[in-house]
Amino acid sequence: MKLLKSMILATATFASAGSAMAQTEVVWWDFFVGGDGQRMKALIGQFNDEHPDIQINATSSEWGVPFYTRVRTAAAVGQGPDIMSYHLSRVPLALSEGILTPITDSDLEQAGLARDDFFPRSIEAASNDEGTLYAVPFDIHSIVLYYNKSYLEGSDYLDEAGNLVGIESLDDLNAALALAQDNGSQTPLSYQTSGPGGIWRIFHTLLSQQGGTLIENGEVLPGDNLDKATRAIAIMQDWGDKNYQPEHAEYEASVALFTSGRSAFFINGVWEVPTLVDMEAAGTLGFEWGAVAVPTLLEEDAIWADSHAFAVPIQGNKEMAPEKREAVMTVIGWMEKHVLDWAAAGHIPAYLPVAESEAFTQMEPNATYASLADKAVYDARSDIAGVASPVYDAALNVIAPAIHGFLEPEQAAEHMRQELQALLN
Amino acid sequence: MLLVITLTAAAIWIFPLYWAFVTSIRDESHVVSSDAGLLPDMLNLTAYSDALFNSNLLTWYVNSIGTSIIITVTVLITGMMCAYALSQMRFPGRRALYAVVLASFMIPTQALVVTQFVLMNDLGLVNTWAGIILPQLIVPVVIIVYKQFFDAVPKEMREAVLLDGGGEYTLLFKVYLPLNWGITTALAIITFIMAWNQFFWPFLVTTSENMMTIPVGITQVRDTFGVNYARVMAVALLGAAPVAIAYLIFQKKVTEAVMISSGVKG
Amino acid sequence: MITNRRKHIVVAMTLIAPFVFIFALVFLYPTLKMVELSFTNAPLIGSGEWVGLDNYRRLFNDNLFYTSLKNNGYFVLLTVVPTTVIALAIALAVNRLAGSMQALVLAVFFLPYILPVSVVTQIWAWMLDFQFGILQPLIEWVTGKPVAVFNHPSWVMPAVASITIWWTNGFNVLLFIAGLRNISPDLYEAAALDGASRRQLFMKITWPLLWPVTALVLTLQLILQLKLFDQVYLLSGGGPFNSSYVLLMMVYREAFQLNHGGYASAVAVILFVLIMIVSVLQFQLLRIGGRK
Repeated sequence: MKLLKSMILATATFASAGSAMAQTEVVWWDFFVGGDGQRMKALIGQFNDEHPDIQINATSSEWGVPFYTRVRTAAAVGQGPDIMSYHLSRVPLALSEGILTPITDSDLEQAGLARDDFFPRSIEAASNDEGTLYAVPFDIHSIVLYYNKSYLEGSDYLDEAGNLVGIESLDDLNAALALAQDNGSQTPLSYQTSGPGGIWRIFHTLLSQQGGTLIENGEVLPGDNLDKATRAIAIMQDWGDKNYQPEHAEYEASVALFTSGRSAFFINGVWEVPTLVDMEAAGTLGFEWGAVAVPTLLEEDAIWADSHAFAVPIQGNKEMAPEKREAVMTVIGWMEKHVLDWAAAGHIPAYLPVAESEAFTQMEPNATYASLADKAVYDARSDIAGVASPVYDAALNVIAPAIHGFLEPEQAAEHMRQELQALLN
Repeated sequence: MLLVITLTAAAIWIFPLYWAFVTSIRDESHVVSSDAGLLPDMLNLTAYSDALFNSNLLTWYVNSIGTSIIITVTVLITGMMCAYALSQMRFPGRRALYAVVLASFMIPTQALVVTQFVLMNDLGLVNTWAGIILPQLIVPVVIIVYKQFFDAVPKEMREAVLLDGGGEYTLLFKVYLPLNWGITTALAIITFIMAWNQFFWPFLVTTSENMMTIPVGITQVRDTFGVNYARVMAVALLGAAPVAIAYLIFQKKVTEAVMISSGVKG
Repeated sequence: MITNRRKHIVVAMTLIAPFVFIFALVFLYPTLKMVELSFTNAPLIGSGEWVGLDNYRRLFNDNLFYTSLKNNGYFVLLTVVPTTVIALAIALAVNRLAGSMQALVLAVFFLPYILPVSVVTQIWAWMLDFQFGILQPLIEWVTGKPVAVFNHPSWVMPAVASITIWWTNGFNVLLFIAGLRNISPDLYEAAALDGASRRQLFMKITWPLLWPVTALVLTLQLILQLKLFDQVYLLSGGGPFNSSYVLLMMVYREAFQLNHGGYASAVAVILFVLIMIVSVLQFQLLRIGGRK
């Protein structure tokens, strides 16, 4: 009888869904576009091919505020996805909004994973203060210093193998930028000067390299941290005054300045590595390039870092069906085990079995900046910090005008302190 | 002399639209090249085919047309019924109701979005057509205009129908409405344009791309790869096209509609 | 007779019921709810606790609130009177054209009004693009260097205002044209026979008779421009350092980005009251002005 029933059911499904079998649909939202997007689409396609019983239905939207605003509202009203990409820097904010569901040990088991499979720091960043896990870490990503060798040829900044050397302080970097400018580089240091991401990453790196922190014990820029923030902004403003950095460069423009050969140096995430690799392979790049971990320009070793992760949002006031949740966990487990393909987009896997595998440690050019993992400084653990948070808003709203000369560095730092402190109180 | 100044001003006024069109039919690389002039110098429709077939534009059209039509029909029917009662009937609370209608002319609906959103969530209507439509159904001007015109219908007609045993609904739909088809068309045009162009509310209440209307959806078309100004302009122009073309065809009607609905022309 | 009267009322009630129901649901209830929420610390979705006047106290100590208020005022200054003057000038010019030429020119000036706001902002963002904008050479000619208009604290509001005028002006032009057409040609003929100059014709006949329309345009514009959100959100996001931040932006951000439903409602209540007061005041003022 049971057999008959399932046969009828199977026939019905067959009839209604054409050739497809009974499938669980997993609605997937991410913010991966560009090179990241292509690699993620490939992974999703491969997953769908290998899993006739699960169908990932993916939508990508614009990184940052548009994505996170929509996700937050949609999840709260039960119109959100089943799984989504998330930044670990934003987990505290997500917890205050209450839009993530805990990832239990049995969830992890379903995914074929365990807590020990990840860097302890990533697990910590993905958990609340009591240690409950709210996201599954996927990668660690940071910013690197890309360089165009043609502007440095014959100088002390290239060793015999053609690798960048001798940049050990801010003065060194500025001298190299001056040299590149003399050699005809229009804007020798490109980065996104008109967007929250690019500005925040560099500001936070410069602040951390002075041992400064943005938020300490509920205080924004307490004590001499205000001066350190001022100095960080002043450094960036100085790059603007000397025409080292482009004015009002949107993300795409900042990339184009480097790839078109107009900028000798370029600070951006590791995720643009594939763009350069691909262009070089296609013969459209027109110069030799390299990438190193962002040098220690100030007193301490520190580089901004963040992590992508997977999270399962709440479904309004409803519960996700257990079968659906199992399918979601299957997706997460599969993705973690295929993270090597993702690492080709420049990221460091958070999943240790892959991160420690030979296949990854020998992958170029990731290996040349592997040291950045030791210097990584994450955003402050605060519910006003993280991607698309008030802190990021302040980077665009306050620091961006300052580096273009509309505000003095002191004013900008103070403005930022007041605006953010008001939100914490 | 005056003619020259007027025509120059008109040319300047239309230039942004002209420039958007010129950009949209250019090749992406030509758009940003320094030797691109002011004149249309190529006819490349890639941006348009891209916009139509590689985005959700067609879905957004359906959403926009569907919601705008439902809004227009509902607003007109509820509006004319209410206006008829206000104009032709005597009932307790009539003055108060008309005062409310007049006052709501000034009430800023935009200030209500937070609680309207909460309400739509309580009703389970976030990210649905009903959710997009409901808060747009209050258009007081429709009632005000209908009432003015109903007031002007000679009383004799009303009495004649009532003597024949006709009811109020017969009067409204068989007499008052046919007498005022011109007004209905005018109000329909205005309401439809308003609904079609609404941005803020649909932007808040839609959470997935397949429920978005044209004005909201076209802000989502953004590639991170390379410059794509031609495509952005093509999408913008396609989004504007239906109402713009309708306007150019029915220009006189629309002009009249604006004048009637704002009370400057009776 | 009594039953007839009762039946009459019942029929009337069924006629007004649909409107009244919708009005109560999407207008009255949200208004009351907004006031209630403004006294709580509720998130956007979910309930909160009663906090009395805390939100208002906080609001009146919030610098961003005053910045927004100031920017709203600045935007009104930049748009309301200029758009009225421009619309009147265009209407006077168009009115002197004839036939299909008039229809064509009128269409040109009216067309932007029927565009969705996001189409308008995308076209202008492209026109004013820092790198490739067609208007940048013009700006460079005037100021000596290109300007990233929407990232510049002193350019951003005038730019948004100009774009808004371009977008909405056609509506006002139509109102003025309708007003002009309502003025009987006999008046002009009679005055011309008396030897009145053009200027006198305008000052003595056109302007006074057009005043009701002018008052209407001013009122509609004032209410409309106080509700500024779309253009700012799409063009500058409120920046740089809040130079274009406005009240409705604050409502949106507090509610939908920061999840402060209660505080957002308090801002909304203030905006609500503000618009009501301003429009009633202006309505009265213009009426008095019109009588003189």
